[in-house]
Amino acid sequence: MADQANFERDALQYSRQLYSAAMRMARNPADAEDLVQETFLKAYRAYDTFEEGTNLKAWLYRILTNTYINKYRKESRRPAETDLGDVEDLYLYRRLGSDDTADVSRTTEDRVLDGLVESDIKAAVEELPENFRMPVLLADLEGFSYKEIAEILDIPIGTVMSRLHRGRKAMQKRLWEFASKRGLLPEDAERP
Amino acid sequence: MSHKCDCGDAQDQLYQYLDSELDEETAVSVRSHLDDCGGCHDSFDFYRRLKVVVRSHLAEDMPDSLEDKVKELIRHESTSA
Repeated sequence: MADQANFERDALQYSRQLYSAAMRMARNPADAEDLVQETFLKAYRAYDTFEEGTNLKAWLYRILTNTYINKYRKESRRPAETDLGDVEDLYLYRRLGSDDTADVSRTTEDRVLDGLVESDIKAAVEELPENFRMPVLLADLEGFSYKEIAEILDIPIGTVMSRLHRGRKAMQKRLWEFASKRGLLPEDAERP
Repeated sequence: MSHKCDCGDAQDQLYQYLDSELDEETAVSVRSHLDDCGGCHDSFDFYRRLKVVVRSHLAEDMPDSLEDKVKELIRHESTSA
């Protein structure tokens, strides 16, 4: 079992990463700061139950996620079980016309990937319903494995995969809309 | 002889491949398809690049004061316990 005396040394190295995830969950700096502080306090209090040598980062994310869900779910404007509409596979790529026009695709791809700004990406993730946003954040921001995400969120690995898949597709749909608004799409380029 | 992967198989496994979640044999089979198929290669490459862009834009700079607040909270908790 872990020693509370080592908590600062062991756990605080993850504070910056936890803050990024907290920002994408709570969507504003004040709540994100509260969330991080509450997470570390709970983790400190429970540190003697943490088994040393196991995955400390995943353990902290589990506390962060549970704290967020318990604290903010009731305040959420979206119901927790919101479903996403049906979005085809490779949505964004297919809409760039890359399937059959390989020559122009690289230019279009570059323009879209370079032209999407930070606020577009953040909005596309933050707008996802919570059930889908959490797996996407844990995989795409933190690089957790599916198994780790399943443990953090306490859901089966198959559910992680399907939510991740559908969440990423919904995100692509939003990114497509942002790219269109910014005039980054092939039809925009063809205009004089 | 492992199962030969076609475009449909490869696309079904796009995310698992990019997330390094496939077993070695399946990953080799997808990789070999990508070597042979320009269309799949390009789409995989696009999603690999998108993943990097998404990740780089999602990170957030933490205010320095937050780490101090956390330390303070923990020290207070440890002395009051």
